Amino acid sequence: MTSGKDLSERALGALLLAPAAALLLVIVVYPIATLFWNSLHAVDNANPAAGETFVAFANYARAFDDERFWRSTWNTVLYVVVTVPGALVVGLALALLANLPFRIKWPVRLGLLLPWALPLVFAGLIFRWFFEYRTGVVNDWLGRLGVEPLQWLSSPTLAFIAISIAIVWKASSFMALILLAGLQTIPRSLYEAAEVDGATRWQQFWEITLPMLAPSIFVALIFRTITAVQTFDIPFAMTGGGPGDSTETLAMYIYKTTLDFLDFGYGSALAALMFLLSLIATSAYLRHTNRA
Amino acid sequence: MPRRNIVVWFAALVVAVNGFFPAVWILLTSFKTETELIQSPITYWPHAPTLANYDAAFTAQPILRFMLNSLVVASLSTALCVLVGALAAYALTRLRLAHRNLIMSLLLAVAMFPLISLMVPLFKLMRELGLLNTYLALILPYAVLSLPVCTLVMASFFQDIPADLEAAAMVDGCSRVGALFRVVMPLAAPGVFTAAILAFVNAWDEFLLALTMMNRVNMRTLSVGITLYQGEFAFPWPLISAALIIAIVPICILIAVFQERVVGGLTQGGVKG
Amino acid sequence: MKTWKTLTAATIGVVLAASAMGAWAQQTTLRIFTGGQQRPDVMRKIADEYQKRNPNVKVDVEVGGATSEAQQQYLSTVLSSKDSVLDVILIDVIRPAQWAAQGWAEPLDAYLGADKPKILAQYLKAYVDADQVNGKLIALPYFADAQFLYYRKDLLEKYKRPVPKTWDEMMETARIVMEGEKNPQMQGFSTAGAPIEGTVCTYLVPLWGAGSELTKGGKLNLDTPAAREPFQLYGRMKQAGVLPKNIAEIPTDRIRIDMQAGNLLFAMTWSYVWNRLENDADSKVKGKIGVTMLPHDKGGASATCIGGWQLAVSAFSKNKAEAVKFARWLSSPEVSKMQAILASHMPVFPAVFKDSEVLKANPWFADALPVVEGAKSRPVTAQYPQVSDVIRGNMNAYLAGTKTTDVALNDMKSRLAPFLR
Repeated sequence: MTSGKDLSERALGALLLAPAAALLLVIVVYPIATLFWNSLHAVDNANPAAGETFVAFANYARAFDDERFWRSTWNTVLYVVVTVPGALVVGLALALLANLPFRIKWPVRLGLLLPWALPLVFAGLIFRWFFEYRTGVVNDWLGRLGVEPLQWLSSPTLAFIAISIAIVWKASSFMALILLAGLQTIPRSLYEAAEVDGATRWQQFWEITLPMLAPSIFVALIFRTITAVQTFDIPFAMTGGGPGDSTETLAMYIYKTTLDFLDFGYGSALAALMFLLSLIATSAYLRHTNRA
Repeated sequence: MPRRNIVVWFAALVVAVNGFFPAVWILLTSFKTETELIQSPITYWPHAPTLANYDAAFTAQPILRFMLNSLVVASLSTALCVLVGALAAYALTRLRLAHRNLIMSLLLAVAMFPLISLMVPLFKLMRELGLLNTYLALILPYAVLSLPVCTLVMASFFQDIPADLEAAAMVDGCSRVGALFRVVMPLAAPGVFTAAILAFVNAWDEFLLALTMMNRVNMRTLSVGITLYQGEFAFPWPLISAALIIAIVPICILIAVFQERVVGGLTQGGVKG
Repeated sequence: MKTWKTLTAATIGVVLAASAMGAWAQQTTLRIFTGGQQRPDVMRKIADEYQKRNPNVKVDVEVGGATSEAQQQYLSTVLSSKDSVLDVILIDVIRPAQWAAQGWAEPLDAYLGADKPKILAQYLKAYVDADQVNGKLIALPYFADAQFLYYRKDLLEKYKRPVPKTWDEMMETARIVMEGEKNPQMQGFSTAGAPIEGTVCTYLVPLWGAGSELTKGGKLNLDTPAAREPFQLYGRMKQAGVLPKNIAEIPTDRIRIDMQAGNLLFAMTWSYVWNRLENDADSKVKGKIGVTMLPHDKGGASATCIGGWQLAVSAFSKNKAEAVKFARWLSSPEVSKMQAILASHMPVFPAVFKDSEVLKANPWFADALPVVEGAKSRPVTAQYPQVSDVIRGNMNAYLAGTKTTDVALNDMKSRLAPFLR
């Protein structure tokens, strides 16, 4: 490779990446920089007269001593561990089902895509209604099956389950879309050849479908994980963090600290820690790409 | 084969029910009155179906304007995001760049900050730029918010396109960027459409930025506008359901019409479905 | 000649300048921010009236998001950025101390000048106290509110039970009526239990009813037996089956909904409910509702939580003088009467409570006045959000059964101490 070609490749690369870089620089670099700056200062908008003194890592130290930080982080980890694989499994199932040959395709595909035509804000509220003790559909059906109505939203474990169901419902649609697009790119000839070789459908799934889908699964998982670490809208709408603090996620705690208590310094430190959590959660995936 | 048909039908049912159930529930609710909603046991089919909620939905708030705002913001931010993302994805997959992994990590990193913590500086920024209550105040941030996912989705599809196809085009006198738009993107259509839909729905769903950047009623987007249907203290589900149906119907029509392209794509080389 | 020319030129100049200034001073646009729950439709009517009387002022009524969270989100972002988009903002009675510390409200003392004592004397004392922080007037009262005990007077008559004065009487009545009615949908008593602001009152009302206070002499006062009383009261109610099973889920409006459907015997809630129960087309309890003071412990006295909304002028407004003028008009007896008739908002002026037209529209205001006059305020502190969070979180946890009285109280003691020294 001559240096001339390398240079033009690099120049072209820079050119192609320039719009993305420009957009990011203008829109997010200043807010993110402010976030880190705030996290190193005592910025209490409930008391602006006190000014903004530099406190180095005091905010971070405060988080480590903060029981509520650890509890909300633990809740967040639980949601990640449950809803990421959950959404993947359900999303994959939906994608595979939607990929079957139907004569009339649009109802199935509409059913697949509808969960996110519904704005997230309302998904949370609707599921809150579904799980309501007296007027909720879920308890109604339990009643018809002869089961006692459950206190879905006023009991910590049940609330967690209800919220997870709502999150998986919404997120599996996202996953299904990415996976379905991936399924479309698998050449039929591979399956035909495998059938000729006598492979069962299960074997075909494991040996053709999954490996060919790996890149799509990978992308879907990364973004699902990042979003899961930031879980906010659905538990916020369904339980507001209750009962007590038991369904409060880290994002909800950050929200409360920043917009309710107006403690921007501490809130920013918590956000930086959430960033760290996302990094840790996705590092497993990223190390996989580096190898691949 | 009959047995296969049953499986297919069952599959169709599962997918359809999963997606449609809440939507059907909202549809039924939109024809009910508030009192009916508090009956125990709950009712499914409305006792005395009424169109009053739809009437109120159109008159109490400018819902058509909300929809227009959402459509404009979502479409333009999606177009911007897909364009910029395609260029970046091409650079990341086709060119041998020194810091490829670092760039991808940076892109991902941007997505890892909670929006709540970025709100105040972002608001101040938009205010300084004089963009508050304009479409750009949402288009630009939405494009940025979806940029990581769009870029990486498209990148993963671009990777599967063999390089010789572009080489052939370039021999015919095409530039690299030309090859991107004329060869790679059409072949990676499912990926491009997927990225577009993801960006579109992210913009459609978004609440916090829309709440803060647009405070003039006629600039509000749908996700915020629908929460403005209020009575004293109450959450008027029938009214809001009607508004939601009004909001969802165009999306459904869009999806039903374009789903072939969206899901089927234009890939060559024999694919399922 | 020259003098005439100069004079004419000067006159023309002055006239032009005056009309230009007049035209320039023509349109001041004021933006008032209100929540969806404070009857923005009535606010609009009132604003229209102001525009009629002040042709050079245009009033935009901006309705914030449905929930107080959405409003808080928006206000926090906008006011933390010192934005000038809002001129007058409707704030909850619990906010003035916060807003004073945050520097979001323009102190009104200078604008009221020498008239201030006379003006303030007209209001209910509770609001004068709530709106003045460290000697500065932070806001003007808009409408009043307090919590009342609503009851089904038809059912009380049927079972020949008196209107309860103590919690125990109320529980006994509930037991008798529920046993007699044999209606599985019927609940005895309901109040806010979800982790929302109203749940702070859920804790404080029985505490006050037992004759105790949250702070005494400037220090936290939770080591008394009375501090346990709210938890134990609701515990007893739960055991007796008087409270709904899902009390920890119950937000404010659910109480009204249940009562309106005829499924609730007693309710501890705010004044807006009366209008809906009596006037809503689908109300099953028209004419069957009585309102009275909240019960208390034997030996204690009835206490209630004060509510209501105040008008603050934004410290970042570009039209402060006009905004203050508008706020003063909104906080006048005339507008208070308009609100009472159009929206059943309780007046902030004792005099208006007794107005005949107001009473015709809201006959029960006559009985409500002494209750509002005696209403107590939630803790007044610049860090009210944190305090509220601790109290309502623990009350909610107790009602959900995830914390015992001791655990909840200890948590409250340790977390409230830094704020309520």
